[in-house]
Amino acid sequence: MGVFIRRSTGRRLRAAKPAVAAGLALAAIVAAACGGSVASRTASTPSTESPRAAFPLTAIDDDGVRVTIAARPRRIVTFAPSNTEIVFALGLGNDVVGVSGKFDDYPPGARSVARIGGAGEFGADPNVEKVVALRPDLMLTISGGDQWKQRLRDLGVAVFTVDATGFADLLGDIRTIGRITGVPERAAALAEGMEAREASVQRAVAGQPRVSCFFEAYYPPLTTVGPDTFIFDLLRRAGCDPVSATAKDDYPEWSVDDLVVEGPSVYLVASESGVSPQAVAKRPGFRAIAAVRQGHVYLVDSDLVSRPGPRVVLGLEALARAMHPGTLP
Amino acid sequence: MLGPRRREEVIPALVVLLVGSCLVAIAAGAVWISPLTSTRLLAWKFHLMARPRHIPEATSVILFQLRLPRVLLAAVVGAALAAAGTVFQALFRNPMADPAIIGVSSGAALGAIAVILAGGGAALDGLGVSGAAFVGALATAFLVYRLARLGPTVQVATLLLAGIAVAAIVSAAISLIMTFSGQQIRSIYFWLLGGLGARGWQALAAASPFVIAGAVISLASARDLNLTALGEERAAQLGLEVERFKRVMLGAGALLTAAAVSVAGLIGFVGLMTPHILRLLIGADHRKLVPAAILGGAVFMILADLAARTLVSPEEIPVGAVTAVLGGPFFLYLLRRERTRAGARP
Repeated sequence: MGVFIRRSTGRRLRAAKPAVAAGLALAAIVAAACGGSVASRTASTPSTESPRAAFPLTAIDDDGVRVTIAARPRRIVTFAPSNTEIVFALGLGNDVVGVSGKFDDYPPGARSVARIGGAGEFGADPNVEKVVALRPDLMLTISGGDQWKQRLRDLGVAVFTVDATGFADLLGDIRTIGRITGVPERAAALAEGMEAREASVQRAVAGQPRVSCFFEAYYPPLTTVGPDTFIFDLLRRAGCDPVSATAKDDYPEWSVDDLVVEGPSVYLVASESGVSPQAVAKRPGFRAIAAVRQGHVYLVDSDLVSRPGPRVVLGLEALARAMHPGTLP
Repeated sequence: MLGPRRREEVIPALVVLLVGSCLVAIAAGAVWISPLTSTRLLAWKFHLMARPRHIPEATSVILFQLRLPRVLLAAVVGAALAAAGTVFQALFRNPMADPAIIGVSSGAALGAIAVILAGGGAALDGLGVSGAAFVGALATAFLVYRLARLGPTVQVATLLLAGIAVAAIVSAAISLIMTFSGQQIRSIYFWLLGGLGARGWQALAAASPFVIAGAVISLASARDLNLTALGEERAAQLGLEVERFKRVMLGAGALLTAAAVSVAGLIGFVGLMTPHILRLLIGADHRKLVPAAILGGAVFMILADLAARTLVSPEEIPVGAVTAVLGGPFFLYLLRRERTRAGARP
């Protein structure tokens, strides 16, 4: 007699936004909800407006919340693998006192850090008690979870949200994180390095015809990415035009029938979807899709494309190689 | 059922259990806070001693802002659901009567969701949600009651059937609202999923007055609940204004359910199991059963929430899943033991 809730909504998002915690319905609905809000946000990096580098500093996060950071953070909690990777890449791994969970697996040093929960196995909320016990002076999070964020703010934790809507936005976010953690130069260097690698991918695919592609985030049900997602932006930069450009949702279900008609020439499968290219071809009706029939099904490492962090340049290069074999070394 | 002397010991035993489970639940969690530490912090909070040294600030924040309100909220919610279950089971003279099964929980949820949607999710903490949950619960209870009213009296079987039908309709309505709620689906989903950790003292303050009121009404009506158990005709012959009494008790049950649902979401099994288990132990005398259910529900919920937040720490299991997993088998065990014993006797 309880209320019926469509749990499947969640599962199909797990592949697409593991930052939100690769799991469970909860995580997914968070993803769906924040995805929806992305479109309405004008720019996602207003946090760089204040030029002051010295502490205390105030910055506005991607939730639009004004966050004051009293001194250079020495005890950082990173909620979401993407934030963990960024903070470690900034050389602040020793200052990280808490991560979300088992998906915070890169770099390897992150695996031995205390976990605050919310990685998706049992829900998308961190354990508030655990966070408070770690006495963090900065908690870096992603979109969603307004309620526990408010709870933590009330308890005196500086909660700062970053939500990368695309590659350019991610570079801005990295600079912002560098600024609020007191290492703006390292962040600038990291962002510039990523920018350079992205530019070389752009040069390589510039002369090539654009390829129509489809990105499978989850199956079943067959789920892809909408135009406002981070992955979609990466696909575009890799020289591909996803057939899901018309989608209204961030993680829409897609029918095989439509896919047969649209006939993408490359079919990409997120590794988190848990299948091999061979298995994709064996699914009922999939042989009718042009890319599948021609054997252009490629597995993409989910961690490299769906975590907006330093390693997305690797994901971008992998995508470009799949799209245009031979153009990149 | 226990022997007459053992039966007298159940309520004192439940009081001891309540205190014990409170102590354990306050101590255990993401960090261990020993009863000694929490006693010293409490003494400081009540100005009985100076701020104890060597206790980190984080510990007192966890104790006072997170753990204490959560344990107390678990007690209040468990007591409310168990009391509501006891009242509905007596009133409907049916062991299946439970706030969830007769639609009152769903009614409360529907009311609350309507407010969450209207307020854009901003009014989550306010009295608005509790109030709307109460209106929803009350409306469902009386709708069921009116639907089941054929002629001058309400037949219990019809009441139960009407309850089940209305519960199904209300649940469908909630699913439908969620489908069309777009971004708000997140607030609603989290709210429905419930849990006791989200809102702290605010939730406790919002629920307690209603739970206390409902509990007082239930305790005061224990004798009349015994009369209704004899059947409506007998109860009327014995001087009970049956129809009026039913309405008052439906209201009390709705109040208790709404208070619990509005702060903790939909948590099943407590309202169904607690009265049952205690009835098997102490019998159907509501003068004992109602207070025992209030205590037992509180104990059960505190322990279920303790399990929910410590078993897979730092992750958390939805408390409703724990209540079902813990409550179900224990109930079956008691039921079977009781039947076996009854069968063994001539």
